[in-house]
Parts: sequence; C-alpha cells; structure tokens
Amino acid sequence: MQVFKAYFKVMRGAVATLSINLCVFLALAVLFSFIAPQVQPVGFEPSRIPVAIINRDKEGEVSQGLAEYMEKVCKVIECPDDPEKLQDALFHGQVKYVAIIPPGFSDAFLSGEDCVIQKVIVPGSAEGYYVDIIINRFLDTLDLYRMYGGVGEEDSLPRLIASAMEDLAVETPVTIIGETVISEEYRPGYYYYFLYCAYALLALITMGVSTIMISFNEPDLYMRNSCSPLSKRRMNRQLAAGHTTFALGCWAVLMIGSLVMHGRNLSETGVLGLYSLNTLAFTFVCAAIGLVIGAFVRSTSAQSGVVNVVALGLCFLGGVFVPQSIMSESVLAVSKFLPSYWFVKANDAIAVLRNSNPEHLHSIHNSILIQVGFAIAIFSVALFFSKEREA
Amino acid sequence: MFWHVFVYRLKCLVRDRELVFWTLIFSILLGTLFYVAFGHLTAESARFQPIKVAVVNNEAYNQDPALQAVLKELSSAGANQMLDLLVVDDKEAEELLEEGAVSGIITAGELPRLTVKEPGIYQSILKMILDEYIQTTKTITNIVSRNPQVSGELFENLQSQNGYRRDYTEQISFSDAMPDMVLGYFYALLAMACMYSGFCGLRNAFDIQADLSDKGARRSVAPTHKMVVVLADSAAALAISFSEVLILLGYLAFVLGVNFGNQVGYVLLTCLAGSVAGVSFGTFIGTSVRGSEGVKTGLLIGSTMAMSFLAGLMWIDMKHVVALKAPWLVYINPATLVADAFYSLYIFDTHRRFFINIGMLCVISAVFCGLSFVRLRREKYASI
Repeated sequence: MQVFKAYFKVMRGAVATLSINLCVFLALAVLFSFIAPQVQPVGFEPSRIPVAIINRDKEGEVSQGLAEYMEKVCKVIECPDDPEKLQDALFHGQVKYVAIIPPGFSDAFLSGEDCVIQKVIVPGSAEGYYVDIIINRFLDTLDLYRMYGGVGEEDSLPRLIASAMEDLAVETPVTIIGETVISEEYRPGYYYYFLYCAYALLALITMGVSTIMISFNEPDLYMRNSCSPLSKRRMNRQLAAGHTTFALGCWAVLMIGSLVMHGRNLSETGVLGLYSLNTLAFTFVCAAIGLVIGAFVRSTSAQSGVVNVVALGLCFLGGVFVPQSIMSESVLAVSKFLPSYWFVKANDAIAVLRNSNPEHLHSIHNSILIQVGFAIAIFSVALFFSKEREA
Repeated sequence: MFWHVFVYRLKCLVRDRELVFWTLIFSILLGTLFYVAFGHLTAESARFQPIKVAVVNNEAYNQDPALQAVLKELSSAGANQMLDLLVVDDKEAEELLEEGAVSGIITAGELPRLTVKEPGIYQSILKMILDEYIQTTKTITNIVSRNPQVSGELFENLQSQNGYRRDYTEQISFSDAMPDMVLGYFYALLAMACMYSGFCGLRNAFDIQADLSDKGARRSVAPTHKMVVVLADSAAALAISFSEVLILLGYLAFVLGVNFGNQVGYVLLTCLAGSVAGVSFGTFIGTSVRGSEGVKTGLLIGSTMAMSFLAGLMWIDMKHVVALKAPWLVYINPATLVADAFYSLYIFDTHRRFFINIGMLCVISAVFCGLSFVRLRREKYASI
C-alpha cells in the first residue's frame, strides 16, 4: 500500500488549489440557486416584458390610465428620469423598453391633436413590437370611446378609461398542446447546480490526477520506482485505486453538496438517481483527461495553464456556461465530439423529464453511455502514451 | 543605466513563458471561447422576424371576412409585416406546430382560439393580435349600443385606410450605439487582461527584494541606485503589459470583430490606464503582503478573479447589479472601471463618465504605487 499512501501525501500538496476551485464552484452554485426562478406558471402566461415608464405628464388622466394598464400587462421597473441610468438599464437588459410620456400628452390626445409616446428600444426587437401593440391597443380603444362614445355629461374621462380597461380585459383562449415544455427561464436551482458540476469536476479531478501523475512521472522518481521490488503491475494497481478513490471522493462531495442545497426538491422530483449517474459518468471522463494531462505535461506551472484551458474550453464549447439552445449550429456540430456536450445534453433532458417517459429515458441513458465511451477512449490514449514513454 | 536595466528587464519578462501565457495567451483563448459560444448573438441576430402562424382553413374561417382581413393586412409584405400566414387544414396545422415550423395555430370560431406548444414572446404577440380583434369587436358593440346614431360614421371610419389603428409611438435614442449585452463580456475580458498585468508587477517585486529571491539579493548589492532600478523595472513591466493588452485589443477588434466604438485614442488611453493599474496592483501585492511566492500569486489570482467577476466576466448582469446595490464598489474596483470606461465610450455621446473612470483608475494606481514605494524605500536586512 506504499504507493496508495504516497498518493495522498502528494495530494496534500495540492489541497490549496483544489480548495480554491471547490470554493469558487460552491459560491457560484449558491448564487445561481438564489437567482434561478422557482416555479413555472401552469398554463399559458403571456410574456411580461420589463418596461420603464417615464411619465412626464403626471397630472394627465390618459397618461395615468396608460401607466396603469401597462402595469397590468408588463413588468414595470422603477427607473429615474436620467438618460444615463436608463441607457445602463437598457444595455444590461434590466428593461427592454423605455416609454417616455411627454408633458401635455393627455391634453393633446383628448383634443385630437397629434401626440406620441417616445420609446427607446433595441431597434427591431420582438419585445419592442409587443409593447408597441400594448400601448397602441390602449390608446386606440380610448380614442374610439373619445370620438364616438363620449356624448353627454355622464361620459366623463374616468368612465371612458374604465370602459377601455374593461374591453381590454377580454382575452383570447389559449391552449397548450403536447408535453409541457419547461422553458429555460424556469429551470430549477438544482439544474444549474448539476450543470456547473461539470466545471467543478473537471477542475478538481484533472488537477488532482495530473498532479499525482506529474510527480510519479518525474524522471528520477520514475527510474527509482522502476528498480524497486514492487512490480509495475502492483504499483499501477495502487495508483489506479488512488485515482478512483480521489475521483469518487470529489464526486461524493459534490453529491452531498447537492443534497444539502436542493435535497428536498430533488427527492420530490425523483431525479437524483439520474443526475448522480450522469455526473458519475463525467467523473470518469475527467479522471481519464487528468491521466492524459499527467502523461503529457512535465511541470506544475504548465499544468495549471493546461487544466484551465481544457476545463474552460470543454465547458464553453459543451454548453455548460452558455446554453446549447443558443449556440450556433456550426459550433454545436463540433461540440458533439466533446464529452461535455453529452453531459449537458443529459443534464438538460433530466431537467425536463416528466413521468419517466421511456423515450426520454432512453436518450438520457444514451448520452450517459456516450460519456462512458469517451472515458474509455481517452483512457486508452493515456495508456498508449505511458507505454510509449516506457519504450 | 536606466536603459540597460530596462532592456534586460524587458528580456527577463518576455522570456518568462508562464507569465506570457497568463497575461496574453490565456486572455486570447478565453476571448475566442466567448466568441465561439455567444459571438453570434448580436442585437442584429435577435431582430424581429414575421411570425410563422398556421390558420385552420375551416368553415368558420371562411365565413369570417373581418378576421381574414385583419390577418391579411398583418401578413402583407412590407416593413410592417408581422405574420407569415399558412392557411392549412387542422391536421397539417398540428403537424407544423409539433415540428416547430409555426409558433401557433389560429382557429376561427365564435371567439378565435390560439393553440401553442410553449409560452414565449412570439406566442404572446399572436395572442395580443387576436385579443385586439375580439376587444375591438367588443368596443364597437359597446359604442353602438350607447350611441346608435354614430354607427354610420364609426363604420365608415373603421373601413377607411388604416381605420382606427394608429401608431402612437416614436422611436428616439439617447445615442447612436446599439445596446448589445455580449459586448459587456469582451469589455470585462479586457479588464481582466489589464488586471493580469499584475503578474508583471509581482515578478518585479520578487526580483527586487533581497529577502524574496536570490536575484533580488544580487540586485540589492549592485551599485545602481534603487530608484533607477525600480523605475526601469516598472517601465519594462508597463511596456510588456500595455503591448499585450494592445495585442488582445487588436485580436478582439480585428479578428473577432468586437465593437469598441470609433474613438481610438480614448480606447488606447483606457488600455494604458488599465495596464498601469494592473502593474501597480501586482507590485503592491508583491511588496506589501507577507508570505511565500505561492501565497502572493494565489492572492493576486484570487483578487483579480473577484474583481473581474464583479466587472461581469462570468455573469454580465453582475456589473449592473453591483452598480445598483453597492455603487461605491464600482469606483474602487479597477476591473469595473476599465470595463465601464470601454462601455461608456461605446454607449454615451459625452465623456463625463469615461473621465470619471479614468480619473479613478489613476487615483487607485497612485495609491498602490505610493504604498509600494513606502514599503520598498530604505529597506535593510539584518539577515536574509
């Protein structure tokens, strides 16, 4: 067991780096589980576009009515009447539409003069079209009442606005067909936890495994070990046991983390088993990648560069940091040759799995098996290079 | 002597492969990954396209000329085309929806119905169009029941060109720049590269202090005035860092096509101010923090990553969230100041905010340099 014991002695030296990676992951996991929206509404809910309303016609009843109607159908965000702050909010997507109601708008509208609501939008955006319809809808309806429904004393402005509001409350019945699709904005917190597990596993396991392999492959140590009475086979067996223990340890820590943060939700939906299986398959991929890095890289300074590039590269191209649904077709075509793509594909499929649909389960199992295939292939490459070195 | 030390320092830094990897190659790789992952998601690519919709060709639809007229008007080719209409039977409509070829199905009846597969902005627009149709019918019924004498004039108006539909909105813009969130990631990346200049400052701090490295001990006993050595070292570090940031800027702007606006002089000034802040921060960590090389390097990487995170490198909304919740943090985080300087050059017509950012970067750099100077001057060692 000397080699197995030495394995963890060497690993102790890398504890600081491994802890930093783990802490970064846990911090991100906590952050994203707070940000993740909780429950998807049942049935069809029209989009509620974030809008900033700058009402410079505060006294005008039409302006007030319009603002009131927009509050019902849009998500109104409080913003100060300051172009710099409004531009910030628009650039960062905090609001998608800035509607500026100019002073005297109500009077101009009621007297039938030309009047406009100024808007600041991303030109040509769908959200812009949508909010345009909402504003025009209210003002067109009110205009019809103003022109034809306002005869007589009783038709005061508040009554016309109330009539318009009443008409605008009538809605088209909407049916949703097929299986319920969980849209990206309503993915549960644990979905993001397991998604970012890919980065944590890659960073932790490749760093740990390659650190050991670099130490054991150091020329002097390698030659010294070669002439020791311990057979090559036994030494490799103990190293393999060390790698397996370390990789499974990392996986177990992350699984415990998921139970602590999302245990209740996971047990309610019953998808913990599938997530565990998917991350376990990816754990083997990471261990195999760590072996390859350990076989190629000679110095610890080059190692951190290679580990970072490999981990970030696989995560960006596989769809961990950016959803696969918004990646371009050409990039996705290349990503299919990466194990992280199949990890994310399975992760996405598990998040939307309902009632253990056999067809979906089959595709999840396929993705997991493909990762196992990648692990075997990468492991074979590592073996080939270590044999080459021996020769 | 200044030039002699400067040239040799330059050679030392350029030949440090690890340093060049983290300060240049890593940023270029990260920029490439950003571009590959979401470079295609420009504001232009999110432009509204006419919504593909299937209409069930049933008896109710054929007997509803009003609905036909509305849908025809909205799908007529031109700048205001909102719908791309397919009139098909109900089975085909469902197939098209299932394949994702259309966003929804409109079925005429007493009240028109909408069938969709999932909620979304295009589906919401479809619903709003149908809402408009039934709401207008209700409004007209209400008006006619209240004032039957206006019905003639009302219908005449409705049938006239454009009828009652008016566009009350007018697009204005605060500047010519197109809001494009993806740009924020590249600006934060450049900010990170500027802060990574700290590695050069840190290397300098190791090689000038006798208790930290053999090289430092040898240089400390050399007859050259320490001030000359420190200035030459810092100038070399700045020259290397600034060149690396310029290479990254060139790669982002000319190879990946990232838009930095057209104020080249100010863009270069931001890169320079960012590099100065990075080098002085690295020197500060190297001189003022006690600990081994590993501790100092770890601290530099950790703090740089934290600054870049707050500047929006990992999650672009972070910069805006910090500006809303803790505005003071924006003014003391050099990475945010660099990213915000690029952003204000791109988005604003005025330079007020840009110069606040550059000014704060200069103040922060001066503070770091001052603290490092205090720590380095007249240093004596009883034993090393």
